[in-house]
Amino acid sequence: MTPRILLRLLAVWLGTLSVCAIAIFYRVRLDRTRPPTGPYLVSVWERGERSARTVVESAPERAFEEAQSRRGARRIIEQIVDSAPILGRSWLLLGHSIVPARDGLSVSYQGRTAYATPDDLCKLEAYEFTFALGPVSLVMGIDVNKVLGVLARELGTEPGELLRSGSFRRFAVLSDAPYPRKIGEADLTLDVVKDSVQDAARYLSRNQRRDGSFRYELNAVTGADSSDYNYPRHAGATFFLARAGNQFQDPALSRAARRAGAYMKDRVTLRCGAHACVGEGGQVDVGSSALALLAYEELLSGGNEEFRAPVLELAGFLRAQQRPDGDFQHFYSVSEQHPIDIQVEYYTGEAAFALARAHRVSSDARDLEAARRALSFLVTRSSWFLGSRYFWGAEHWTCQVLAELWQRAPDRVALKFCLDWQAVNRNLQFDSPPAPSEYDGGISRGPFMAPRLTPTASRLEAAVATLEVARAAGVSAQEIETLERQIKRAFAFLLRYQFSPGPTYLMPKERQMAGGFPGSAVDLHVRIDYPQHAAGALLRYWELKQK
Amino acid sequence: MRVTFGVLNALSALVLLIGVFGVVQPRFWGLDVPLTLIALVELVSAVALVAKLPWALRALTIAAWVSFGLGVLVVSLILLTIVFLRGIHGDYGVAALAVSSLIVALLVPYTVVLPALELLWLKRQSVESRQ
Repeated sequence: MTPRILLRLLAVWLGTLSVCAIAIFYRVRLDRTRPPTGPYLVSVWERGERSARTVVESAPERAFEEAQSRRGARRIIEQIVDSAPILGRSWLLLGHSIVPARDGLSVSYQGRTAYATPDDLCKLEAYEFTFALGPVSLVMGIDVNKVLGVLARELGTEPGELLRSGSFRRFAVLSDAPYPRKIGEADLTLDVVKDSVQDAARYLSRNQRRDGSFRYELNAVTGADSSDYNYPRHAGATFFLARAGNQFQDPALSRAARRAGAYMKDRVTLRCGAHACVGEGGQVDVGSSALALLAYEELLSGGNEEFRAPVLELAGFLRAQQRPDGDFQHFYSVSEQHPIDIQVEYYTGEAAFALARAHRVSSDARDLEAARRALSFLVTRSSWFLGSRYFWGAEHWTCQVLAELWQRAPDRVALKFCLDWQAVNRNLQFDSPPAPSEYDGGISRGPFMAPRLTPTASRLEAAVATLEVARAAGVSAQEIETLERQIKRAFAFLLRYQFSPGPTYLMPKERQMAGGFPGSAVDLHVRIDYPQHAAGALLRYWELKQK
Repeated sequence: MRVTFGVLNALSALVLLIGVFGVVQPRFWGLDVPLTLIALVELVSAVALVAKLPWALRALTIAAWVSFGLGVLVVSLILLTIVFLRGIHGDYGVAALAVSSLIVALLVPYTVVLPALELLWLKRQSVESRQ
């Protein structure tokens, strides 16, 4: 091949590639900002199910007028803003052609058209198809089989036939549904914050069983309850409930927290050597004991003296698990009665936080020293590791330890660490525009997925703790202002998606879900740690503003 | 140049094989098959060039054309995928664009530039041998 032929080949290639790229881009894109001109999809939802739908070109308010007055019925009007064809007839292309929580899908087949609106896709739980490959879970577009199944049933055909012969389009809608709520950082008053915390705490107390355990994970769109359970999360939820009960002087919340605390103290407390520990089976983790200690300490400060001895016992267990370098042995073999020197995420921070709080009760210098050493271990990063500026773990507990210890054992290295981590989080925050306005302030988990609430919430717990210390430590006003704005934007993101009351028309048991924080815009499950982290951060902010 | 191209082809083959099977997850035939094919023909031609086997230049010609053709195809598919996702999701941020561009920038030297240089060199070799 001569240089001239090579150049010609490359020119032809680049030209063809450019034409194909432009054609694909303009074929598939939607203009979501233009005034809606498409037809109206009018749906009636009753007890969480769609009972009727019609498509009209005008006067949608006249459709299903009687549903407006029918008890338990809710009419939703969506107007199509723009639509674009789905390229090809491939499962893969169809799966990746829908934007989660924003796009609907229509298909025309033998002269009839069926629509799956964003509400339908949320209800189907079809927006995120999770593909498990060993320990790795990947989100691979929408769940095509679910969506095809529903559309094919509506059109009286088979999913395979529909994929082969149907004409698919994706579409954006303007909906009159009040979810997500329209809340910006300017709306974040202390009353709004307090209401949100109380709603979340009431969600947990409403979903508590008589024995003190919680309904672990509720699915808002099916009403189903998961059979799983997790003690660190039970303890975390108890800690939050106890805080809310104490702060708002709410006896109902305090009673619920006490029941949840008693559940751990009386049912799942084991012996780990000379100490008590929390868990079940032949092996326990320090996370359960650390978070149980936090809950007990908060219950104790609310006047429940029966938790004093368990606080001291669990502090002894955590100290016994600490290594000379300040880290902890994260597991303990109950069956063989020895620590297991393996580390996982979160537990070191939880144990450090627990020991810092235990010191309030015990006044034992060993607790304070253990917490201080653990914090120092968590925030020490080698200056030789260039990646230390770019790679971060989940440090939400670390920065709460910083705040807890600041008056008794201030650590400036830890403060810088937490400020640096929040700067990294600011870079991960969605900005609108160009991001959708409803995601503004949320922490991104990738460009093609809806942001999750809990990673944002746990970072907020740390951010508010950092803000508290930054003020006390005399950090520059500009940095404090930047941090507070970051916090408010993130809170606004969380509040938009809290079930207050949420998309109740999609819920068979709407009362059960009130106050909960879902996983994301497309994952309308509420696990007990979702309100714990989100409302825990809000409560921390409310407390800070009271000072 | 024979030994240089032999070593470079062997390196490219190793980089591609390690990249595809050691780094990229999950397995996807659309990427695995063409890149493995490129790596194998490059490996064969590398052995032939370094060992000075009589069919080395012919092997290099095949390897270079296969690499060039499939390389251009893979790069095209990645670029069109980026454009497709940009069309679907709109402005998804500088970071995602940077990562996508980095993937393309890492692939181009092995799958397009090196085989193009080899094809140019082979042309000069054939002209010189005719003279």
